[in-house]
Amino acid sequence: MSAMTLIARDELRLMRRNHVAVTAVLLLLLLTVVAVATAWTHQQGIAETRARHQRAANAAFEAQPDRHPHRVVHYGHFIFRPLSPLAAFDPGVDPFTGNTMFLEGHRQNTSNFGDVLQSSLLVRFGQLTPAFVLQAAVPLLLIFLGYGAVARETERGTLRPLLLQGAAAWSIVLGKLAALGLVAGVVGVPAMIGFALIAGQPGASIGPIALIIIAYGAYLALWSVAITLVSTLVRRRRDALLALLAIWAVTVVLLPRVAPDVAGQIYPLANRLQTDVAIARDLRWLGDSHNPDDPHFARFKADVLRRYGVTRVEDLPVNYKGLLAIEGEAITSRLFDRYARESYAAHAAQNRMVLGFGLLSPTIALRQVSMASAGTDFGGHQRFLEQAERYRYDLVQRLNQLQADQVSYADDTAVDAGADRRKRIGADHWQRMPVFTFTPPTPATLVAAGLQGLAIIAGWLVAATLMLTAATRRLGAK
Amino acid sequence: MSYGSHRVLDGLSIAVPAGSITALLGGNGAGKSTTLSLLLGFVRPNDGRVTVCGVDPGVEPDHARGRTAYLPENVALYDHLTAVENASYLLALSGNRPSRAAILDAFAAAGLQERAWDARLSGFSKGMRQKVAIAVAWLREVPVLLLDEPTSGLDPQATADFNALLHAIRVRNTAVLMVTHDLLSAVDVADRIGFLERGRIVEEVAATGTERFDIRALRARFGERARAA
Ligand SMILES: Nc1ncnc2c1ncn2[C@@H]1O[C@H](COP(=O)(O)OP(=O)(O)OP(=O)(O)O)[C@@H](O)[C@H]1O
Ligand SMILES: [Mg+2]
Repeated sequence: MSAMTLIARDELRLMRRNHVAVTAVLLLLLLTVVAVATAWTHQQGIAETRARHQRAANAAFEAQPDRHPHRVVHYGHFIFRPLSPLAAFDPGVDPFTGNTMFLEGHRQNTSNFGDVLQSSLLVRFGQLTPAFVLQAAVPLLLIFLGYGAVARETERGTLRPLLLQGAAAWSIVLGKLAALGLVAGVVGVPAMIGFALIAGQPGASIGPIALIIIAYGAYLALWSVAITLVSTLVRRRRDALLALLAIWAVTVVLLPRVAPDVAGQIYPLANRLQTDVAIARDLRWLGDSHNPDDPHFARFKADVLRRYGVTRVEDLPVNYKGLLAIEGEAITSRLFDRYARESYAAHAAQNRMVLGFGLLSPTIALRQVSMASAGTDFGGHQRFLEQAERYRYDLVQRLNQLQADQVSYADDTAVDAGADRRKRIGADHWQRMPVFTFTPPTPATLVAAGLQGLAIIAGWLVAATLMLTAATRRLGAK
Repeated sequence: MSYGSHRVLDGLSIAVPAGSITALLGGNGAGKSTTLSLLLGFVRPNDGRVTVCGVDPGVEPDHARGRTAYLPENVALYDHLTAVENASYLLALSGNRPSRAAILDAFAAAGLQERAWDARLSGFSKGMRQKVAIAVAWLREVPVLLLDEPTSGLDPQATADFNALLHAIRVRNTAVLMVTHDLLSAVDVADRIGFLERGRIVEEVAATGTERFDIRALRARFGERARAA
């Protein structure tokens, strides 16, 4: 048996004989099981609730009686964001962003610019998810199990006998690293099995799953190397423990908490009130379709009349009010889209900056990979918002088109007693409206979104390994 | 050989032939442990030559260490392991795979009580640890044995056991260098005794006849030197 294997086995034997260590490992395994179970049931609950609400909303929309299409535009429609298949593993921003939207005419859903999104970056510390167990709890356990690996030998004076016994410094360090890596595997595997169960859901695909497994594997490998490195560099166990706890507190707790705040300060998002005021101002400037003197709509009217070769709107073969509604919706939507794009750009800038902090904290980089691959990062939320807006615009314009084609201008403008009845069109029209279905991102999109974070973790792993190599050389010279 | 500007060994010349026991005597700080560090390649001489089994330990430490068993001044073993586990772990690292019976024989020869064989070292006295380390050194079966104050901490019975073990090792044609400030233990086992002072050997005596050393004369001389130093 090689010296490295012997040393790894002895290290594991030491951990086995340490009752505190064994208890800690068992507790962590228990924590993992609880995390997987709660995340799983919680997700099933959410998915089911959202699906049920969606069915109810669809039914309510279709159950509308015969009515004027514009009333349907204002009746609106609710849609619910379906959970991504990997959300139970890492819910990401889902709990902090709106996941239901009310769609209606003339306004883009306010949740696009909502205050609630201010917190989309602040995926708070401490939710009991399998991802959290792997990101924070497992490294902490590894620190407690591994801080003394080499420092103990240095401090107790057993390092020299080990070297004299013919064990090369590299085999000592690699042996300790292998033992710690094995423990990381043992405590990480149940979370990964839980992940596999979650990932076994319909709709999950191999690319993002593989990326998540690689990223978490690299992250735990990084911690194992870093712990061994610190243990090799310092002469006393206590110093190793303190240094490692400090590193953990800064990279796992502090920076992930501070980075979004800093990003939020540097790239502030407009709050709801500011946005509403700005939009109202812009709308006034865009024109008012009800004002006959409004220059934009005067031009629109002239264009329409010329196109149909008539001189009065009453002579048009279509309902002019429907055409106006279509034009008005197009104008306001362009405006709302502009604000949405600005908001998305600010979010993107914030998230880029947070990822930049990943250069200081691999945990941030890991979260990015994790959320992006699970489709629960802000990008995932934005995908939902964009699809919801496309659906809303399509729905509203279809209704406006119905108003233009199916309701006559004379009826639409009439105010006599029977007019209201004549303006209505059949309920079968609502039933024929398309239903909102969320198109999930392709696996390639998810993987691409996670690669940057993975690159950062890989960079860290390479750097830590190089430092460990140097520290090992120094150890051999002792 | 010096630590910084502090010259510890200066003009030391010593040869330890195979199958013999050489004792190096000197007061505290005379440079005894430093001599062993040189032979193990932990420190290098400023000038001069060090050779262990034909190689320079400063250049090829692994080669030299692979052929050397070393009993340090402060024995460091593993508290979480039993005596037997300590021995088999350390011996496995150096490529030896002694049977449990062989390990127990060595413990018995070193005078370690039977009840301690399968006990964890956390409850061991200094002398008991010393015995475990001696047994490990014995089981290594290498051509060179370096001992730093091996009998400190041993009771008279254990010292006698140790001396017997040392003779058995010598019979295996091992070169043994033992450094100590204990004249009596040196006299008991050594074939030659060198007195280390001011970084060099100032006097060397070899055992002769059945009486081996004239203890009284040595004590008188060693005591004098100790006072002078
Ligand atoms: N690592 C070191 N750095 C600097 N000086 C050292 C070092 N090791 C030993 N010395 C100095 O070298 C001298 C010889 O030390 P050494 O340990 O060889 O003495 P010794 O003969 O073994 O003494 P003792 O009987 O106390 O064990 C001492 O003056 C000591 O202070
Ligand atoms: Mg000494």
